[in-house]
Amino acid sequence: MDALCKPILRLDGVSKRFGGVVAADSTTFSVFPGRVHGLIGPNGAGKSTLMNLISGIYTPDSGTIYFDERDIGKVPSHDRARMGIGRTFQTPRFLQRSNIRDNLLLGADLGSGYGYAASYFGKKVTGFEAYLERLLAIAGFSFAWEDDISSLPYGQRKLLEIVRSLLSNPRVMLVDEPAAGLNNREIENAMALLDFAAKEKNIGILLIEHSMDMIMNICKDIVVINFGKVIAAGNPAEIQSNEDVIVAYLGRNLDA
Amino acid sequence: MSEKNNSNQKIIVDLKDTSISAISIFKIVAITAAFIAFAVYTPKFTNAYSMMILNISLINFIAALGLSVMLGMGGQLSFAAVSFMGTGAYFVANLTNGRLGVAWEPVPVLVGAVLFSAVFAYICGSILFRLSGTYFTFATIGLVQVTWSVYLNYRPLCGGPDGVSGIPVIRFFGMSPRDYHDWFYVLLIFVLLAGFLVERIRRTRLGRSLASVRDNEIAAQTLGVNIYKTKVIAFTVAGALSGLAGGLYAMHNQFISSDIFTFDMATTYVIMAMLGGVNNTVGVFVGALLVTMLPEWLRPIQRYLKLTYGVGIIFLMIFMPMGLAGLGNMILKKFFRRKKGQKETLLTDEDETGGEV
Repeated sequence: MDALCKPILRLDGVSKRFGGVVAADSTTFSVFPGRVHGLIGPNGAGKSTLMNLISGIYTPDSGTIYFDERDIGKVPSHDRARMGIGRTFQTPRFLQRSNIRDNLLLGADLGSGYGYAASYFGKKVTGFEAYLERLLAIAGFSFAWEDDISSLPYGQRKLLEIVRSLLSNPRVMLVDEPAAGLNNREIENAMALLDFAAKEKNIGILLIEHSMDMIMNICKDIVVINFGKVIAAGNPAEIQSNEDVIVAYLGRNLDA
Repeated sequence: MSEKNNSNQKIIVDLKDTSISAISIFKIVAITAAFIAFAVYTPKFTNAYSMMILNISLINFIAALGLSVMLGMGGQLSFAAVSFMGTGAYFVANLTNGRLGVAWEPVPVLVGAVLFSAVFAYICGSILFRLSGTYFTFATIGLVQVTWSVYLNYRPLCGGPDGVSGIPVIRFFGMSPRDYHDWFYVLLIFVLLAGFLVERIRRTRLGRSLASVRDNEIAAQTLGVNIYKTKVIAFTVAGALSGLAGGLYAMHNQFISSDIFTFDMATTYVIMAMLGGVNNTVGVFVGALLVTMLPEWLRPIQRYLKLTYGVGIIFLMIFMPMGLAGLGNMILKKFFRRKKGQKETLLTDEDETGGEV
């Protein structure tokens, strides 16, 4: 990691327990602008918990989360979103009873920064149509503006959630399993979107994914966690040959 | 991984705000026509008494609209409409009829009543939304009981059980409605005003944020929506609308008492909103009209009125949970299916193998 570049997001000894389960055990790592960081680990390792801690849905028991070198421990979830922490979910979270336009405009609203009154008295989000068209060209699908969100197939909804997050102009994006349930072509499009976000928009991306193809393809740095603990961190080549990682994923050979 | 050239993709239909689909055009034309017909023809076939009931239903619509903002847009069930109708009504009554030594011009007082109710609603909302969901709803029932007993018992401002009478009617530039037929047109102006103001909410950030609070609180938070603040603002807007309705009621009936600010009335407003379709302005209008007029129409079976009413509500909830508007939308969508068929062919030329994960 080059010393010139400051991390946009830094976790310092963050811990969280649920009863007896240690979901995060003094986790420390950083996310840099313009890079895609992979966060991997077996099921139940605490990956999604970390995302919930970063986006403010949970509060850590101990440790500090810095966003842009500022401690955001006391900042409520919605203000973290306003500061520029965007995220997507394992199962896409949309407003099922609203059409696609309203769902996407929610993202654009956040990006515009206009308050309720400004919006009510006629301030419109400008320039977002062009941006949206560009994003959809990368995402590789289109739709009718007034359609219900449920008219889109599952894979497109997942892509659309990334698009919605991008519309809010985040500085960090937490992307939770974007490839799950997508077909090959949609996975490629998802990778193209993340690539665009990192390279063109200089967004720091934290990516949880089980598809190793995707992780090894677009991540420069990978953090591996198991039982809430960081067991390895490094570039894809280092991770692939790391003993602890192989044990965590495949189990220990009893003869050894 | 690179940006692909999707030349076979149809690019999004039209992203401008002005894009209006066939359904919307049909709706707008039909609603405008129906409203004009309603405004022009109803007074011709209505006697003074029925006109009064009809006017009350227009006032009820404005109050129920507040509920539509709360429950329809934001998913928060509140019974507090009558509390803020009360503040609006007593505000107007006290400052226009001279019992406190002042008899100000009705229109500015009405504006004051709306602002006063909004402030009161803001304070109540800030406290009540410390609770969420059902607990909030129960707390609003408490609020209704508190305000009702104040309206019933506090003589200096609310006249006690006798109520307040002798309230002057509204006056614009020296002109006042002479009878209930005149009032009908005055109230229609307020109905249109309130309807457009609320429809505007739906199309701006507040409406979308409320929808996100209703449908998915976690998504709302990650999209920067302050859930608490958004709910309080909706409560304030609803309070302002109720205050307007209360003020108009006071001027229209020229007499108010605590009887109309009871929990029983509070449930009636919820039923109006539910019957019409809680997230639909036109639906709420029809709901307010039906629920207010129904006791009149069912007069021949008056003895069984409450029974019919109760059974009707149960059936309504079973067969039309989205109200009349939901039913209307369903029928409209069936008529306009063709467009959907086109879209399906567009999607099937992609490989839908489901992926390997």
